Amino acid sequence: MKRTKTLLLASCGAIALGAAASADTVRIGITQNNVGIDSYQTTYEQAFIAAAEANPNVEVIVLDAGGDVARQISQMQDLIQQQVDAIIVWPTDGQALVPAVRNAYNAGIPVVVTNSNIAEAGLDFIAAFSGPNNIQQGIYSAEMMCDALDGEGQIVQITGMPGYTTAIERQQGFDDRLAELCPGVTQLDIQPGDWNRERAQRTMETFLTRFDDIDGVYAGDDNMGVGALNAAIAAGRAEGMVFIGATNFAVGYDAMERGEYWGSVYQSPVDDARAALQTALDVLAGEDVPLLNYFDTPKITQDNMHEFDRPVF
Amino acid sequence: MLLTRLKAGGPAIARQGILVAFLLFMVAFSLMSDRFLSADNFMSVFRQSAIIGVMALGVTIVVIGGNLDLSVGSMLSFATVLVVDLHDKIGPELAIPVMILATLCLGAINGALIGFLRLNSLIVTLGMLSAIQGLVLIYSGGQNVDIVDQQGTWFSIFGRGAIMGIATPIVMFLGLALLFHVIMSSMPFGRKVYAVGGNPTASVFSGISRSRVVFTTYLISALCVSMAAIILGSRVMGSQNNVGQGYELQVLAAVILGGTSLMGGSGSISRTVLGVLMLAFIQNGLILMGQPYYMQWLVTWAIIIIAVWLDVAAKRGRLLSPIA
Repeated sequence: MKRTKTLLLASCGAIALGAAASADTVRIGITQNNVGIDSYQTTYEQAFIAAAEANPNVEVIVLDAGGDVARQISQMQDLIQQQVDAIIVWPTDGQALVPAVRNAYNAGIPVVVTNSNIAEAGLDFIAAFSGPNNIQQGIYSAEMMCDALDGEGQIVQITGMPGYTTAIERQQGFDDRLAELCPGVTQLDIQPGDWNRERAQRTMETFLTRFDDIDGVYAGDDNMGVGALNAAIAAGRAEGMVFIGATNFAVGYDAMERGEYWGSVYQSPVDDARAALQTALDVLAGEDVPLLNYFDTPKITQDNMHEFDRPVF
Repeated sequence: MLLTRLKAGGPAIARQGILVAFLLFMVAFSLMSDRFLSADNFMSVFRQSAIIGVMALGVTIVVIGGNLDLSVGSMLSFATVLVVDLHDKIGPELAIPVMILATLCLGAINGALIGFLRLNSLIVTLGMLSAIQGLVLIYSGGQNVDIVDQQGTWFSIFGRGAIMGIATPIVMFLGLALLFHVIMSSMPFGRKVYAVGGNPTASVFSGISRSRVVFTTYLISALCVSMAAIILGSRVMGSQNNVGQGYELQVLAAVILGGTSLMGGSGSISRTVLGVLMLAFIQNGLILMGQPYYMQWLVTWAIIIIAVWLDVAAKRGRLLSPIA
């Protein structure tokens, strides 16, 4: 049994090698989470295709799961059947996808997970993860908050959708770093804004009623941060209040330019897409790739914002 | 009608299950937070509730007519993205009517399939929920839309302005509520909706065009969604593609909380307004008290159960079912 498996693996490898050698190109299949549901994912796809077209040695098969985990699993199976050289996957569900990733592993096809990671049980079967470090982003936001408030003040936090890894990790990074770096800054309350600007605006309005003295607001992304800013402006209390977000959106960038918004974390879907493709190419080239490949998501503030392009989303 | 109400008996107050629950709840919250009943907070919650509220008015009429509308959430995304996107392209004075017409077309599709083809409303509107979301994504290509000149546009009046000192969303919500209350309680169309929802067969034999009445209820629902989209777009000055996702359930919860029967034929606009306010005050009150967000879900559920129970109990004149 074991021998057949090895044989199978070897022959798969040989076919892949043969194909690669004859045409001198690699075939990479990608199955994305839900293109079109937000600007980030739309831009990611465009950037991925552009990066692949710029490289004559790469041929890509671009698929989208439309947010449906069952469809993503069958897309993984299709890609395995087509014997692509590598698969890039943006998991719709990090847990449910583990068996599909294991199938690819057993078929000898390296899998690169992009943007949001697969569940821990699947880590043994992937070649690498490529994406943003959300805990680090939370840490950056905490550092900016501490800076902006000179270590003293009272803040509120508006988080993303409860239960989403990105929301949990950003909050965790922020809470831990703030407590450690800035014991003088207290968090009055933490409530979700569901990644929704209107919802965040409502949450902030209630905070403004409840607390007479709010010095700063941390929001899990700029979309919610701008919702909170809207609420504070409407209440006439935005003056002197520090707003810090993450995933710099165009609206956040503009508000920063007007001096209403203090800072954010710059996360480019273009960098995200390029990093995923590069990681897959490095894996195929046999390079020693670390399991967790984070691309850089730097702090962006009013001071350094002109080093960055205005986000397209 | 009056006779059956009297026969149902029970103390007069118990007949207003939702009102009792609402008052009990308001007293409890104001005891726990001194900010809760402040004028500022009251106005702020009222203003926040207007978007869900305006949508709930339309859905109430659909439900009284014996159907459901689960497509209002996606329809809100569609209408908001459209009006915000067109605002910068053709100006608000054209963007608003174009958006209203487009949204009415979606309502007409619902209405035609359910009214004239007699398809099941749950299936049709559930399908429309995802179809319209797809339409939004095709239209916008997945990009967020934003109004560039947020300070200079008169479009801001709907979400951020005030009419005679009262926030515009509140004026729109209560104005539409009053209009639909009059239509439903004292105009022929209102009586036809109750008749069609209460006993479709009998209504047809009474010479009511059931298909046309159902069709119109969906047009009204779509019109309400377009009004909500104006408030939302103006309040946020931008839109995500999925901004209305999940709103259909909040709307339905408010309608049910108001005591409108999902079987059709009974319910009222004024009680839906109470249901909407109650849901908004629950969310607000729990945050004011510093409760974690998941308490909202539990408390909302418990209050719906209590309100529905009081309502049923009032109808049968006792708390427990006589048939055990």
